[in-house]
Amino acid sequence: MKIGIEVHVQLNTKSKLFCSCSNLGSDEPNSRTCATCLGHPGSKPALNKEAFEKAIKVAIALGCKINNKTFFSRKSYFYPDLAKNFQISQYEIPVGLDGKFEGIGIRRLHLEEDPAALIHKGNTCLIDYNRSGTPLIEIVTEPDFKSPNDVRLFLRKMITMLTYLDVYYRKEESTLKADANISVHGERVEIKNINGLKEIERALEYEAKRQETELQEQQETRGWDSEKGKTYSMRVKESEDDYGYIFEPDLPLFEISKELLEKLKKEIPELGADKSKRYRKDYKLDEQTAEVISNDINLAELYEYTIEKGIKAELAAKWLRRDLLGFLSYDDKELKDVSLNQDSIVDLLKLIQENKITDEVARKLLLDLIKEDFDVKKRVKKEKLEIIFDEGILEKACREVIKENSDAVEKVKKGDEKVLNFLMGHVMKKTKGVGRPDVIIRILKRLI
Amino acid sequence: MRLDKELVLRIAKNARLNLTEPEIKEFLPELKEVLDKFSELSKADIPSNVNASFQPIEVKNIFREDKIEKCLTQEEALKNAKHKNDGYFKGPRAI
Amino acid sequence: MNVEEYVTGVRKGEISVKENIKKILNEAKKINKEYNYFNVISDDALTKAEEVEKNRKGKLAGLPISVKDCVCVKGMESRAGSLILKGYKPVINATVIERLEKEGAIIIGKTSQDEFGFGSFSTNTDNIPKNPLDKMRSCGGSSGGAAGFTRKTENVHAAIAESTGGSIACPASFCGVAGLTPTYGVVSRYGLIDYANSLDKIGIIGKNVKDTKLVFDVIKGKDERDSTSVDADFKDSKVKKIAVIKESLNVDKEIKEIVLSKVGKVEQVSLPLVSKYALSCYYLISMSEASTNLAKYCGLRYGESLELNGNFNEYFSKVRSKFFTKESKRRIILGTFARMSGFRDAYYLRAMKLRTLIIEEYKKLFREYDILVSPTMPIVAPKFSDIKKLSPMENYMMDILTVGPNLAGLPHLSVNIGTKDKMPVGLMLIGDHFAEEKLTVKGEELENRD
Repeated sequence: MKIGIEVHVQLNTKSKLFCSCSNLGSDEPNSRTCATCLGHPGSKPALNKEAFEKAIKVAIALGCKINNKTFFSRKSYFYPDLAKNFQISQYEIPVGLDGKFEGIGIRRLHLEEDPAALIHKGNTCLIDYNRSGTPLIEIVTEPDFKSPNDVRLFLRKMITMLTYLDVYYRKEESTLKADANISVHGERVEIKNINGLKEIERALEYEAKRQETELQEQQETRGWDSEKGKTYSMRVKESEDDYGYIFEPDLPLFEISKELLEKLKKEIPELGADKSKRYRKDYKLDEQTAEVISNDINLAELYEYTIEKGIKAELAAKWLRRDLLGFLSYDDKELKDVSLNQDSIVDLLKLIQENKITDEVARKLLLDLIKEDFDVKKRVKKEKLEIIFDEGILEKACREVIKENSDAVEKVKKGDEKVLNFLMGHVMKKTKGVGRPDVIIRILKRLI
Repeated sequence: MRLDKELVLRIAKNARLNLTEPEIKEFLPELKEVLDKFSELSKADIPSNVNASFQPIEVKNIFREDKIEKCLTQEEALKNAKHKNDGYFKGPRAI
Repeated sequence: MNVEEYVTGVRKGEISVKENIKKILNEAKKINKEYNYFNVISDDALTKAEEVEKNRKGKLAGLPISVKDCVCVKGMESRAGSLILKGYKPVINATVIERLEKEGAIIIGKTSQDEFGFGSFSTNTDNIPKNPLDKMRSCGGSSGGAAGFTRKTENVHAAIAESTGGSIACPASFCGVAGLTPTYGVVSRYGLIDYANSLDKIGIIGKNVKDTKLVFDVIKGKDERDSTSVDADFKDSKVKKIAVIKESLNVDKEIKEIVLSKVGKVEQVSLPLVSKYALSCYYLISMSEASTNLAKYCGLRYGESLELNGNFNEYFSKVRSKFFTKESKRRIILGTFARMSGFRDAYYLRAMKLRTLIIEEYKKLFREYDILVSPTMPIVAPKFSDIKKLSPMENYMMDILTVGPNLAGLPHLSVNIGTKDKMPVGLMLIGDHFAEEKLTVKGEELENRD
């Protein structure tokens, strides 16, 4: 099996690629347009410097050779979503070529403008040019993938990298868009216009299966119907439109000097993959934990902050990965969706590290911190949440529980150890969880 | 240059032009005459190290700062369009 | 009175702007009935005149300016002489318009032209301008209306025009007025309805060279909205040596004599690449670019449209086939062909490389000479009846003398130097990039004082 993909990534610049309309914002149709992105006669493009530099950074991160001269071209075809009936893209000399990322060859990376958004409506179509002119980078891989799963893993790594570079605009409806080329036994099939990571994998899985049974005798272009979960044959265009490329005469040549490259290289932060390696080496984290933490740029930042403030690497990793992420994912949230006070987390972890509170108390405090910030140390003191080492208090609570639960006590006497946990739970409740479970059980056993 | 009716029709289709029979009849010899003249370029000696001139003067590295400026209102954007609906431009069937 | 005297008079309060604008608007309307110089005559000019009347400031205070139809004026129908853009009112002002109005100039209307600039006689359009000296003859093109009105008007006035292959020099020559085409990139193209983006230049047509220079000084300069515009380091105005282009003398004998007697004893130089290939090179590049520029006209966002029937390909084809003229269709076909895969290398790319060599050929000569001269056109303004007999290729051949400097983006100035058969003869002065000062100084010296 051979798979190759072409991914379109929307850049998170403030303005569009060739005009000063807002890149994001109002979704009221045709409210973020101007003469340029509407393709009015007389309008002219002007290249967004930030978009250009972001594209170069991605090319560097993908290991591409950066061309020292690059330019734009007109790609001509007719469609209602194309404001000028040509797209300003790059043809002969793109920003980057011949890279490698996570073991996959990167054929090229180039900049281009997004067409408008089109809605089919009966015998007509409705067009919203808000999206027209949005900056896109197109990344084309070599057909190096051996399975749909490979593609999924690669894309996740790529998304992490794009997030670290802060170039990527992640929206619910249109995150990554891709075309994929896949051949199993026979000829290559191109699946066009797949939206989002999940769909890309679904489409490839489906097509891989389909090609197992139906021998692909000709090259074909297919579409992906995400509702039906199937690829479908797209009517072969009678004659493929010739794009008739010419150099974009309204834009000059762009040189990428050594100085610019150096400056941009310096601006690239430590990327996820490097962090993961470093965590394994320096903090002795296992591969999975290192991956999980470094894959989330916000989590990695929090993690490193806690270590900076004196929390042991292993402890911080355990609590952030197991408990914090656990709580968040229960509510389908990510760290970036909540506003957590880093210092409060440090306070909490310190208390755990110094054995001042039980895990149970810590978990409850963490859950509360996710909802709203508060002074951790103050609350622990106020509500007397510190571990009680005074066994006298614990013993008192145990006696009360034993008194109140004579049936359960009988069961324990008869040998049912599991009920001990039930009793322990009651003691915990009575003592607000500040007793260590093992100590409580020991005392209960003694008393019973 | 072999410019025949078939090629002209293919080009016209690419350019979204419907040529009538009389138009094709009229255009064919005219286009042939022009292309014959253009084909003389093949006689020019162009050394391999010559670059294409994107513009006749040298311009390079012209950028725009990434900032947002005032844009058109929805009404202004749609003003020149005959076919519109509910804030959208309306176009012909697109599938 | 020339532009400088007029503006001085306005600023001193000696001239009434309102009166003058009223006068020229009436004149324009009257002349238009017979001569078709204007697609639009704008009464908004009267409102503008009132403003300038109160606030007599600006380097061109109160000056009436006509604008070639392809230069966008916000809110004023701008259709570049075409049918497909009929009714289109731009949402932007071209940068040149902003700069002119900032200095107090007053836009009186849009002048007629060949559709999108496609032509040398201003006959490829619905409103065909007639030569001010002989109504049976052409004004030249594509800026026919601009040159025609500049000659015909009895008022102080200047015309904004545009050249891709010679569309300022040609009509200036045929109508006996001065036409300045600046170096490519010196005047912003923002708001210019494109013909061929690497060849289009906005320039000025005036009754005399000095007038054109004054307007040029206001509109020139880099514009951040046009990524191919530059702030020029203009060359000085010294002119030590001029030469005549040998191959340009293969023209009408009388015209040749008028030119040679005007320039006197000067050397003759040869431009072999230009004379052999400039015409084909120019048309290949301009048509390739034009065919992409015209793709946007498809009955959707602006311009003429039809009932929404059929799929988008059918609809686009219907609209475009109905509203483009034959010449537009020809150029779209030739331009699409020249950049099609399989032909792109032999035609479009080849022409783009040849342009580099042609520019070098000029540059070599400009190391020795300050100005190269030639007749502007090989003939005087032809009769409409004769133009009808020309094949498209014969039409294109009319540009033989002007394509060279246009292709190379060189500044050139056409000045009136005599007549043949009572029709004006123009002399073209060509300079190196950014040598506008040399041209205007020499041009003032050589032009006929009427």
